[in-house]
Amino acid sequence: MRRRISTPDQLIGLLIACLSVAVAGCRPADPSVVKIVSSLPRTGSAKQQSDTIVGGIRMAIEEAGGTVGPFRVEYLDLDDSTAAAGQWTSEAEAANARRALQDPDVVAYIGTFNSGAAKVSMPILNLGDLLMVSPANTAVGLTKPGLGAPGEPEVYRPTGRLNYTRVVPADDLQGPLSADWAKKRGVKKVYILDDNEVYGKGIADLFDERCREIGIEVLGHDSIDAKAQEFKSLMASVKAAGPDLVYFGGTTQSKGGQLAKDMASAGIHAMFMVPDGCREQVFIDSAGAANLEGRCFVTFGGLPPEKLTGKGAEFVERYRKKHGELPEAYAVYGYEAACVALRAIRDAGVKDRRAISDAALALRDFDGALGDWGFDENGDTTMKTLTVSVVRGGKFEFEEVLDANAVGEGGEKR
Amino acid sequence: MQFFLQQCLIGLTNGALIALVALGYTMVYGIIGLINFAHGDLIMLGACLALSLVAALGIGVADAGGMAAVGPAGTWLGIALLVGLCGLFCGGLNVAVDRIVYKPLRTAPKLAPLVSAIGVSFIFMNVGLFWLGPADRSFPELLPAANLLPGDGLQFTWKDLLVVLVVGPLMVALSLLVRTTKLGKAMRAVSQDQTAAALVGIDVDRVIAATFFIGGFLGGAASVIYGLYINTIGFQMGFQNGLYAFTAAVLGGIGSIPGAVVGGIVIGLVRALSSAYVGERWAGAIVFAILIVILVFRPEGLLGRRTKEKV
Amino acid sequence: MRGFLRERWDLVTLGVLAAAPLVVPALGGALGGQVTTLFIYCILALGLNVMVGYTGLVHLGIAAFFGIGAYLMAILTVPMYPFQVGWLAAAVISVMATAGVGLALGAPTLRLRGDYLAIVTLGFGEVVKVTLRNLEQITGGMKGLNPVPPPGAGVKLGGLDLGLAFAVDPRWFYYLSLAALAGVVVAMRRLEHSRLGRAWVAVREDELAASAMGISATRVKLSAFAMSSAVAGLAGCLYAGSLSTTADPNAYDFNRSIMVLCAVILGGLGSIPGTLLGVAILVGFDTVLAPWADSWIQQMNINPSGSSLLSFSGWRLAIFGLALVLVMRFRPEGLVPSRRLAAELHEAHP
Repeated sequence: MRRRISTPDQLIGLLIACLSVAVAGCRPADPSVVKIVSSLPRTGSAKQQSDTIVGGIRMAIEEAGGTVGPFRVEYLDLDDSTAAAGQWTSEAEAANARRALQDPDVVAYIGTFNSGAAKVSMPILNLGDLLMVSPANTAVGLTKPGLGAPGEPEVYRPTGRLNYTRVVPADDLQGPLSADWAKKRGVKKVYILDDNEVYGKGIADLFDERCREIGIEVLGHDSIDAKAQEFKSLMASVKAAGPDLVYFGGTTQSKGGQLAKDMASAGIHAMFMVPDGCREQVFIDSAGAANLEGRCFVTFGGLPPEKLTGKGAEFVERYRKKHGELPEAYAVYGYEAACVALRAIRDAGVKDRRAISDAALALRDFDGALGDWGFDENGDTTMKTLTVSVVRGGKFEFEEVLDANAVGEGGEKR
Repeated sequence: MQFFLQQCLIGLTNGALIALVALGYTMVYGIIGLINFAHGDLIMLGACLALSLVAALGIGVADAGGMAAVGPAGTWLGIALLVGLCGLFCGGLNVAVDRIVYKPLRTAPKLAPLVSAIGVSFIFMNVGLFWLGPADRSFPELLPAANLLPGDGLQFTWKDLLVVLVVGPLMVALSLLVRTTKLGKAMRAVSQDQTAAALVGIDVDRVIAATFFIGGFLGGAASVIYGLYINTIGFQMGFQNGLYAFTAAVLGGIGSIPGAVVGGIVIGLVRALSSAYVGERWAGAIVFAILIVILVFRPEGLLGRRTKEKV
Repeated sequence: MRGFLRERWDLVTLGVLAAAPLVVPALGGALGGQVTTLFIYCILALGLNVMVGYTGLVHLGIAAFFGIGAYLMAILTVPMYPFQVGWLAAAVISVMATAGVGLALGAPTLRLRGDYLAIVTLGFGEVVKVTLRNLEQITGGMKGLNPVPPPGAGVKLGGLDLGLAFAVDPRWFYYLSLAALAGVVVAMRRLEHSRLGRAWVAVREDELAASAMGISATRVKLSAFAMSSAVAGLAGCLYAGSLSTTADPNAYDFNRSIMVLCAVILGGLGSIPGTLLGVAILVGFDTVLAPWADSWIQQMNINPSGSSLLSFSGWRLAIFGLALVLVMRFRPEGLVPSRRLAAELHEAHP
């Protein structure tokens, strides 16, 4: 008979180990240090994009010399995805939010990448008035009263105060604008697909709605399972319907590339349009450049890296020098989010979460890498630049700037 | 009608691929009663190797005409070579895993090897993560996209033909092997009673290793076909792959080779038709709902044998 | 002292865990939230243990029942619906209803043999996940249902707003989950030695022999199904409550079922301390240790280039897998095998 360690010893040993980890993990607050954390998907296929966002954040902090006002800045890069899931999970996001809230040194939370994750952490961080700056959330319900589900955005603000801001324009611009653009290009019939997630479905619904308003025929609207491996039978249905354009509300991670592939192999020659969640090089790689060539159009809230001017262009140049490659589209938003956080800390001048959140929300005129912009009363950016790019030669090629003001009004009418 | 036929064609082709993977499950289950959770991830590693080989051998470089630079004959030869090499790799890996991980557990409680298989699947995934990187990767299109059927209606391309061309003969060969050869006889004996088989002079460990090799070889072949047919591989592909294939194996009656084939094709067809007539969003649920209903009425699977339990 | 520890490990553990948040400040905070999740998984695993451990039925879809519990809880309490019953009542109703769903699935499928039953539960899990995702009007689709109000919302206890306390201080949920866990452990112990518990084991050991002794195998298996679903449903209620949302349906997928199953088998089938230890190791590794190690590596600046080969999370899957393989290789009956199972094994293979 084998020698067996007894039950109590194991359990108690484990307990003691856990407790010592917990004790080691907690240090008293240091008055001269402020911490900025980010919570982004760092495992799985979003890693490539989030790597460049983190790169942007680190550059912003480095350029500030690692200090802001009287404080030394520390940065912590948290992961809201798990290896087992391969993408963000509610639990990891909630744990990150709690962890940030509990550390008295943390004064700003940069994140999230996915709108669905923001829905988890927003109400938690709101309780501690911790400033949250998202570089990439575009779902409308997070901030805009009356445009999202009933009760949004109040459900994310249990204290009634605001602490959430985002430096990227929301989908109430992007969805309808894409439809207007399609009409301008002579599209009469569309087939709409989405990935059934907060962001993808949200933007596809807005696109759908606008198409019906302006007289584009919607042949079908279906959701895919982002875990499915191929969509050949779906594409046979799409082909039978005969659209001029196929719209996919979703991301690279939710199989945008595979859809493009199966579309091509089903022999569909229609245009393919995707939102900013697919605006990353991985999307082109995963779809195969040949399948997108000249027919895949990508909308994006803001200017693509190569079209940025002034401070933005400088950032892109510095980034290229440092990392040897052009940043992904969202890197500059990571940079801008970190700049906003640093500026808010400086403006507030004290290590107080409420004061810093208020300072950020009061930014009305920010001269940053994205141009001149500010936050409105909801914490949304006033920037309304949207661009369309087309895939050509395996790269995103700038196509045109969309007339945001004309459609912006259309958006508000609804 | 044409639409219906098109969906059936897609279902059949997908089903054939599922069936090929399902064979790996059903063979291992048939002989040692283990649900080999790592089989899907084994195929993922096979696909990693296939992708690296395509790059190394240069068969993935297409010229202006869309055909591989090595010419059509070279492409087919290349594919045959890929199937062979990946088959050997996966077969060998499967045998090695059996030797190291499952063999010491032959007499352990039934669920111990199952958990080990889940563990192996995690390890494989981690290897795949380092091999491929976190994002999905494109598998090069080696075959022309031309339609083989006349007219613009039905689509049946070289890729679809490839699936049928590889899967069909492999299945026939496998059934012949199990039914007619000495090894096949030994496999059937071991699957019925290991002790009795050993008593009549069968080297049980060897037969089990052979089974793992054949299952792995089929998985390696499936990985190449998968890459060429779906054109996307990623370190997480093993899971969904395994889920459908394992379901197919059980639906057909686990342990039965024709059962796995029938199960795979049924699942392929159900998925395609429910996507076409109910909606893509429900397709996954309908496959499993039908599975439950079938098992309620035929508890031993479509082609499984009813076993009487004895006291 | 040692003897006391050995005999009363449960009380000692409970005492340490109960005192910990008061002594260790980190446990009152961020870590508290994670440990709460850990307790909830312990409850879920104890529920699964009824099926897999006691009755010997392989169940690959426990997460579905976890999810049904969470969603029922949310439907009964979120402001979007007219019910808005109290927390406790909502929990009781959803636990009962989850047990009902378990019965409804179990009744037609119990005559299936081992692995066929496993695949039915797996399939059921997938169906539930897809349904939760697609029935947007009822379940909120991928948004999930929120906000689930904290227990005791609106109840004032001597100037203390209980709801607010739950929302602000994670310690409240810590203690609630700990209490629920302790309750489930006590209930499981009593069940284990009850007539029903012994019938479960009898059916696991030999169904035919058991029915020859006058035990109705079907009824016994059904009761295991219902009990395990009910406990999983309870875990779901606590989960939705502690996150204040149901989260999205992906939180209840096959991965979760497999993780819990691994925990139960790793710890030792049919053994309560084993199950708890299994969950503590597996879930603790993924939600507590791995993030902590990653941020430590970051703070020490060991990995400035951000290469995944040098980060802990890059190796997380492999470590996890290796741990499962090694434990099964050297302790195939689990880390803390149940006494009965261990005795049988050693009898069979001296």
